[in-house]
Amino acid sequence: MSASPSTAAPPAADEAGATAAKDQRKRGTAKRRPVSRRGELLTGYTFMIPWIIGSLVFTVGPMLWSLWLSFTDYHLILGGDFIGFDNYTAMFADPMFGRAVKVTLVYVLLAVPFKLVASLAVAMLLTQKRRGIGFYRAAFYMPSLIAMSVGIAIVWKALFAKGGPQDQFMSWFGWEGGGFIGNPDVSILMLVLLSVWTFGAPMVIFMAGLLQVPGELYEAAEVDGAGRWHRFVHITIPMLSPVIFFNVLMETVHAFQLFGPAFIIGGTAGGPAWSTLFYTVRIYALAFVDLRMGYASAWAWMLVLAVGVVTLIMFRAAKNLVYYAGEDNR
Amino acid sequence: MISHPYRLRRRSLLTGASAAAVLAAAACGDDGPAGTADDPIEISFEWWGDESRAEITQQAVDLFQQRNEGIKVQTNFADFPTYWEGMTGRMASRDLPDVFQMDYSRLRQFGSGGLLLPLEGVVKTDDFREGFLDTAKLDGQLVAVPIAGNTLGLIYRADWFEAHGVPAPAPGYSWDDYKSAISTLTPALGEGKWGGGDWAGQYHFMELWLRQQGGSFYTEDGKALAFDQAKLAEWWTTSADLYTAGMVPPVETTIEWVEGGLVQDLLASEIGWDNFMPGYSPTVEANGGTLALAAPPSLDPANLGLYLKPSMQLVISGATEQAEAAAKLVDFLLGDAEAIKILGTNRGVPATNTGLENVEIDAPTQAVLDYEASVSQYLTTPPPAPPAATGAVEVKFGEIYQQVQYGEMTPAEAAELFFTEAETLLAAEQ
Repeated sequence: MSASPSTAAPPAADEAGATAAKDQRKRGTAKRRPVSRRGELLTGYTFMIPWIIGSLVFTVGPMLWSLWLSFTDYHLILGGDFIGFDNYTAMFADPMFGRAVKVTLVYVLLAVPFKLVASLAVAMLLTQKRRGIGFYRAAFYMPSLIAMSVGIAIVWKALFAKGGPQDQFMSWFGWEGGGFIGNPDVSILMLVLLSVWTFGAPMVIFMAGLLQVPGELYEAAEVDGAGRWHRFVHITIPMLSPVIFFNVLMETVHAFQLFGPAFIIGGTAGGPAWSTLFYTVRIYALAFVDLRMGYASAWAWMLVLAVGVVTLIMFRAAKNLVYYAGEDNR
Repeated sequence: MISHPYRLRRRSLLTGASAAAVLAAAACGDDGPAGTADDPIEISFEWWGDESRAEITQQAVDLFQQRNEGIKVQTNFADFPTYWEGMTGRMASRDLPDVFQMDYSRLRQFGSGGLLLPLEGVVKTDDFREGFLDTAKLDGQLVAVPIAGNTLGLIYRADWFEAHGVPAPAPGYSWDDYKSAISTLTPALGEGKWGGGDWAGQYHFMELWLRQQGGSFYTEDGKALAFDQAKLAEWWTTSADLYTAGMVPPVETTIEWVEGGLVQDLLASEIGWDNFMPGYSPTVEANGGTLALAAPPSLDPANLGLYLKPSMQLVISGATEQAEAAAKLVDFLLGDAEAIKILGTNRGVPATNTGLENVEIDAPTQAVLDYEASVSQYLTTPPPAPPAATGAVEVKFGEIYQQVQYGEMTPAEAAELFFTEAETLLAAEQ
């Protein structure tokens, strides 16, 4: 692996696989008698049944149920009645709503850019032709496999405890704020850092994108006397823009839904002093501490709505910002 | 959240084990009407607690199964928050265990929905110590039986108090006396140790303080708070001068504590439940200290605001199909001499007379008994079971006080927010 001659191994392999599969399909159909379209459909759906049932029972069903609940004052023990849009209007009078939205937005605005910049930077380093590059790719991807686990959240808690590694390290530079865990001004940074550290998924996508940029563009630019920076700004970024857009979209949607680590580090109360009171954590507390399932469902649907709107805005903005090679004649 | 004490007592465990062995040899088949050894009735029993509690509880259950061959008991346990999260979900799906451990703060939450079996005439009620059954009733109906009881007290380091010339707290001492004790101890103990903890974030302690003034936390019907915002703001300033002077540990420090300050050798005193003391004692002794128990500080020497609270209760699900077998298990766990010996004081000092006679009592447990005897004249009628939203109100109380500690809100602002939140929670269950 270390002496791999082509850095373009993953996409190339994919392509090879796809062609092979296509060939096989061709051969298969050539040998067998063509099956009727109906029969093919039936077979297809038969194989899909477990997943269809699964998503109906475990995703679509509960979602519809929670949509209904969001229009009731359903209490986990006492039940509830239809109350129309009261939950949705009550939300805006709720002092905790603004706090939760603020914490979540701050997180999204910090975590997404930092994570993407970090993953792009690392992706650019890892697409170089170097000895042992395969090892580094694996190593840098590794954190994202384990990062959302309970174990890592607990490790994180220890890292940022008072007198812990972060506190000690920063004290050398005159920091007096103690551990991030107990300091509401900076506690959210713990979660931002956790997110940045797990740049594996966008990094892989960036790498795939970077390897697709035609080398002749760089060569031509070099001939014209463009420096590294100019090549990056005028070739890499535009050519990469569809991939950047995809990553921004995915990471933003994910960031809005952060729950696990926040719940473990800050608890249902979003401690310290509500500085990690993420929107999702608040939904959890409303549903399972306060037992107000109807109201919690309304919060959840508001999040769905908000993420939908943000996504829509991004798609609109992308029209002018994203360059799709090969669509020049549109 | 109230954590609960636990302790594995080797001696009682061994006694229990040998008792179990003897009994196994002479197993008396006490079969119920339905269910035989070949076709047993199955009931489920769940509790919160740690491994050591699980071990001895399982032993007691095994003994029960030997005595009652027709009954099989499925057991399960979890830690306190997980346990209640699970129960809350199962309550919604009406899937509760036949017998399970109950906390006073959740009694109404579960009892009001008809989820608990009325126990009058179902389980034995003639052997409970005086006053213990008062808190097992919901609107006059018995729905739970207490396993053990507790009351608030001040747990303190007798050695540190003595070494620094602070007199041992005598019943009737005032909050100001306690504050000056803390102010003496904290500087004397040196960096990183404190004379006491900040008490203002615990709703139970505010309840105590309100009771000392003849008030209560909730109104009699449990539908509203029985105090106003100004009162709450006042409570949240009772420790403010100590807090700003650094006489009690700052929230930045305590937020990271996973154990109590007494156990960590960092606090000289703490208001808390008296039955925690046997749990703390061994660790404190290992640190070279001595614990003692006194009444909590009071505003009125004649009224300490104390009442006897069940530390844990046992309940039977209203949906059980095996009420008789479930009741048998409850009677066995609370009133059987052998079972008592196995279970020891892990869940507190037993609530039944049989329990008290048969349990092995070590020095810290004796201290709890002595303390309860010493304040028995001050124990007043317990408040009615708190409203179903109490669990959430308790969480909110601590959460909002944290804002005050961090200086994000003034006590008055925090009190206003607490009222908004608590009133919404209480209204949600009307």
